Amino acid sequence: MNKKFDQFAGVAFLLVGILFLVESQKISDSAYGSSVGPKIFPMWLGIILIALSIRLLYETFKIKSEESKKEKLQYKKFLIIFVSAVLYAFFLEKIGYVASTFLFLLIAFQTMERRKIISSLLISAFFAFGVYYLFSELLGGSLPGFPLV
Amino acid sequence: MDTLQYLADGFSVAFQWHNLLFALVGVIIGTAVGVLPGIGPMSGVALLIPVTATITSGMPTSAAAASSIILLAGVYYGAMYGGSTTSILLNTPGESSSVVTTLDGYQMAQQGRAGAALAISAIGSFCAGIVALIGLILLAEPLSNVAVKFGPAEYFSLMLLGLAAVSGLAGKSMTKALIMTVLGLMLGTIGIDAVSGIARFTYDQPILYSGLEFLTVAVGLFALGEVFKTILEKDDETGAIAKIHRIMPTKQDMKDSALPIARGSLLGFFIGVLPGAGATLASFFSYMTEKKFSKNPETFGKGNIAGVAGPESANNAASGGAMIPLLTLGIPGSGTTAILMGALIMYNIQPGPLLFDEHPEVAWGLIASMLIGNLMLLVLNMPLVRVFAKIIETPKKYLLPLIVAISFFGVYAVQYTTFDLFLLLGCGVLGYLLSKNDYPVAPLVLALVLGPMIENNMRRALTISNGEFSIFFTKPLSLVFIIAAVAWLLVPLLLKLRGRKVIINEEG
Repeated sequence: MNKKFDQFAGVAFLLVGILFLVESQKISDSAYGSSVGPKIFPMWLGIILIALSIRLLYETFKIKSEESKKEKLQYKKFLIIFVSAVLYAFFLEKIGYVASTFLFLLIAFQTMERRKIISSLLISAFFAFGVYYLFSELLGGSLPGFPLV
Repeated sequence: MDTLQYLADGFSVAFQWHNLLFALVGVIIGTAVGVLPGIGPMSGVALLIPVTATITSGMPTSAAAASSIILLAGVYYGAMYGGSTTSILLNTPGESSSVVTTLDGYQMAQQGRAGAALAISAIGSFCAGIVALIGLILLAEPLSNVAVKFGPAEYFSLMLLGLAAVSGLAGKSMTKALIMTVLGLMLGTIGIDAVSGIARFTYDQPILYSGLEFLTVAVGLFALGEVFKTILEKDDETGAIAKIHRIMPTKQDMKDSALPIARGSLLGFFIGVLPGAGATLASFFSYMTEKKFSKNPETFGKGNIAGVAGPESANNAASGGAMIPLLTLGIPGSGTTAILMGALIMYNIQPGPLLFDEHPEVAWGLIASMLIGNLMLLVLNMPLVRVFAKIIETPKKYLLPLIVAISFFGVYAVQYTTFDLFLLLGCGVLGYLLSKNDYPVAPLVLALVLGPMIENNMRRALTISNGEFSIFFTKPLSLVFIIAAVAWLLVPLLLKLRGRKVIINEEG
């Protein structure tokens, strides 16, 4: 358990709760004049979340800070893969499914282990083409094809 | 006999060749999911929803729903079979419901009895699956007959009970679990309100009008969250895999495990029916029961076969039992059943009491296919146990990026927007951060699925009562549900105050 994270999360949830409470007041009442319009439910959710996050904050302050284990996290690997996944999502419709999938897999495989480039190439190509062919050609689904060609 | 007639119809659905194939593929993938550490049944099912949705896209809705749910349910109970394999061979449970299997299973493997342990857990799982199904068949009609009489007030309270049960048992801190539940309910309110047609929390973004897609959120939180975790926290390479010498258990093994299997099946089934108490809890209780019943409890933890047979039967029976509240009441009791329910809703099929009347082919087809699927699993698992054990060796460097690619494909193929891909990645990061800090994500998904239904039933009930909240307390059944919900949250709290250790359910 990470006390810092809990405190941060407690404040974040508190803000979300307040946001919901405030924003729900802006929802217009339903037209047919029923007393239970579309804003009741979100409003109560906001109130409950505020109460719960206050309780969470109270709990985290009560707990004495415990020894925090320092774990070695592989941020570099994660960031490379995450950024390439974001780029994958961004370019999917622009350069097509096959090309973007192939590139993403290749980068991710090589990030995980920088060896065996041939098998990385083969698996990426096989997956990208295979899924595209099966889905678009055989099952008649639609994926962005080859806009550049 | 009406039920028998329906069951026969169900079998005619389940025996259609493509449904047989679907069940087979489902249980094979399920076993693989159970074997692979890192992907639990929940992410496995979530990942496959888009794939089944595309495969079945050409069929009529009802048939498509039946086929998909047959496959997805196959993954669910198949994972229960597979989970034991790694527990026994590697001492690492493939999913949380097999944790107790490591205690005696790995010891048996060390003594060269890995094959017997694997076989007995397959046999136990099979028997349990059958017991659960018989229970399902017997209880389905009467329960849905009762549920048909429910009004909106009863439904609202019942769903509250479902949420309370899952939150009360999930994770280490109930506050965190409740926060996750409320957050899920909040996410469910985004989009156009179904009753009044007013857009809520959309901020004029057309992409938000239809709300956040449950599938995207679930795949992101579970599958991607798990992938990110494995990339970030490089775990030590697993140890040597125990060798499998002989698969068939001896006569003595069979004799020793017959009673534990029977007890585990019954216990697991009833625990599974309770919302919130899932397979993990069932296997845990079964282990304790076996230890109590055993003539020589000191052998537990040293390779007693009863310690494998009981819990493995219990977790499988629980996964069957969990289908009962889902199918008859429309209330999922766990994360995985919530995802199954989401899948049904995607096909415009509402699980609940009317399911058996309106879509008997879905409900009974699923039940019949579970019988067939369990048989397939038994047949597959006995000779193929060695093959499945090989799956453990799949290198992570290929597996993890492929899971990302499959989730991208799945989400994009169903949603056709890149917005959902970014949402997917966001949920992935969130899922990692939340579950790392003991915020259980299963209640969030459950609440996201139940949210709109809870709200609609609440508003309907309040409209009937002219805005008086007392309607939830004056209707007797509704009052019972609410009292049960409150008790579910308060009892663990009271037990904690008295210094008792409370067993929690970490599975979804």
